[in-house]
Amino acid sequence: MALLEVDGVTKQFDGLVANQDVSFHVEEGEIVGLIGPNGAGKTTLFNCISGFFPPTRGTIRLDGTDITGWAPERVVHQGLARTFQVVRTFPDLTVRENVMIGAFARTNSTAQARRIADELIAFTGLASRADVLGANLTIADKKRVELTRALATGPRLLMLDEVMAGLTPTERVQAVELIRAIRERGVTVLLVEHVMEVVMPISHRVIVLDSGRKIAEGPPAAIVENPEVIAAYLGEKYRPQRTGED
Amino acid sequence: MTTATVRTGTRPVFWVALGLLAVVLLALPLILRSDSRLNIAILVLVYAALAQAWNLLGGFAGQISLGNAAFFGLGAYTSTILFSRWEVTPWLGMLGGALVAAVFAVIIGYPVFRLGGHYFAIATIAMAEIVLTVFNDWEFVGGAVGLLIPFARVDGRPADSWYYLQFNQHKEPYYYIALALVVLVTAVTIGVSRSKVGYYLRAIKNDQQAARALGVHVLRYKLIAIALSAAFSAIVGTFYAQYLLYIDPETTMRLELSVLIALVAILGGVGTVAGPLIGAAVLIPAAELTRSQLGGTGNAVDLILYGGLIILISIFQPNGLMGLVERVRRRGRGRPLTPPSDEEALAREEAPLLGTYEEERG
Ligand SMILES: Nc1ncnc2c1ncn2[C@@H]1O[C@H](COP(=O)(O)OP(=O)(O)O)[C@@H](O)[C@H]1O
Ligand SMILES: [Mg+2]
Repeated sequence: MALLEVDGVTKQFDGLVANQDVSFHVEEGEIVGLIGPNGAGKTTLFNCISGFFPPTRGTIRLDGTDITGWAPERVVHQGLARTFQVVRTFPDLTVRENVMIGAFARTNSTAQARRIADELIAFTGLASRADVLGANLTIADKKRVELTRALATGPRLLMLDEVMAGLTPTERVQAVELIRAIRERGVTVLLVEHVMEVVMPISHRVIVLDSGRKIAEGPPAAIVENPEVIAAYLGEKYRPQRTGED
Repeated sequence: MTTATVRTGTRPVFWVALGLLAVVLLALPLILRSDSRLNIAILVLVYAALAQAWNLLGGFAGQISLGNAAFFGLGAYTSTILFSRWEVTPWLGMLGGALVAAVFAVIIGYPVFRLGGHYFAIATIAMAEIVLTVFNDWEFVGGAVGLLIPFARVDGRPADSWYYLQFNQHKEPYYYIALALVVLVTAVTIGVSRSKVGYYLRAIKNDQQAARALGVHVLRYKLIAIALSAAFSAIVGTFYAQYLLYIDPETTMRLELSVLIALVAILGGVGTVAGPLIGAAVLIPAAELTRSQLGGTGNAVDLILYGGLIILISIFQPNGLMGLVERVRRRGRGRPLTPPSDEEALAREEAPLLGTYEEERG
């Protein structure tokens, strides 16, 4: 059984169909990339899966449990955590406190939450920022906090919405390393990006959305050569190059 | 309360200052030596406790209530009715009032919080006005005339009684009980602020959607906050009824009272433990003074003054007096706990710019 099963999900906003009959699955231990041009419906799909929007049609199962229409906080306790594309760091809380909020999903003890937070802050390279307020962070650090505190909830599946956007090339390399390390810890990752280059090297599989529909799915090497993908999403800009690493 | 405040709290200087403050507060009735001055001191403590209770909801959870007088009034009425009809000691009545107010708060809070958005403040005004109107028209609780609390008597003369929570001869015990209430609510606030509930409330105040994404059951924790706030406001209400020995809906539930409670906390500094206490110490003597100058009580002038002050503070000093204290302290010691590297200092300056840029794109 797949860890995440998305089955025929459609999301309509008034007249606009943001997701149309999208189906895919994510296996335990995978890193799956979800790509598509701006407005393709990636964030909407994230919101449907994580409980922020009820899908108009379709079902979502996490490890066999139907979680369609569940409240976001309940989905988290079921083992699914997500980050926001537009970062939502708590500005009045320090980095450590931001991460502790996530950790409290697993414990009622403040001391225990602090231990979990400190371990993860070290893991994601935020140790030197632990006492800095969320409001005073760079965008790169805010994204890192976003990821760290989602990780602190102890998810089995972590969904990252454009964590690389707005980062410098060096920061991107670090982020890629971090995502690999997260998987090493036994967390499955669903990675949304609209920049294709960052997804390809780390994804085992890639799913492509365009105008709300899934237009392709497969290993990165096949996706970059898929004519439909190139036409819909890459245009002439992207010259396919060998990127597969595993 | 930020980590910074917690950490500072463990410095020796802080404990010495706290010890001195305790001595002064304990000795104050001896220093004041007049009932009218003692009365102001007791009022300061009453408002400090009320503002602290307000702070749990308004300060930590960010849910601005302009109806906390209803909880205060429910506490005053519950114990008074239990005492005057069935001779239940006000100490038990206090717990009864806390329970009544907490249950009422949850019943009101449940639909209002689900409504979400900025309706909360307005809804609390409406809630308190409805309670006030009901009590004004309700015969069983004395209607608009109110209720007199029977004297505890020894040999036919009004006497002092701890059991009946009445001190007709010497007023000092009222002062010490009020002080104990302030300590109690403050201790609870500190406990809450260091617990999961406190962390969750601050997260909710910052960003509810982000909190939900991290597994925070927002509605449940808001209800915990309003129940706590209501319970402690009610406890103070019982005390106040026993202090005045007379209550009516106007004295215990009027809008000015709700607004003044909020103002005390906002002036002192919301979401901090010391803020409401400082706010009460500054504002209540000032309010009593202007009241005796302007003559009369509870007129619209008060309300306009309080409302105006809230607006001014929100615009110019949103962190209240505690914000001023923080600013001075930071200037003295350098801002963060760990001295920032150059890189960090740089990052801090760049952050807002980059943040705005990213948000526009996102
Ligand atoms: N809350 C909403 N209400 C109405 N339309 C929305 C909402 N959220 C997204 N959309 C629309 O849905 C489409 C897909 O957007 P989105 O999911 O953000 O795409 P992506 O994340 O792939 O860039 C866009 O046309 C967007 O305007
Ligand atoms: Mg998006």
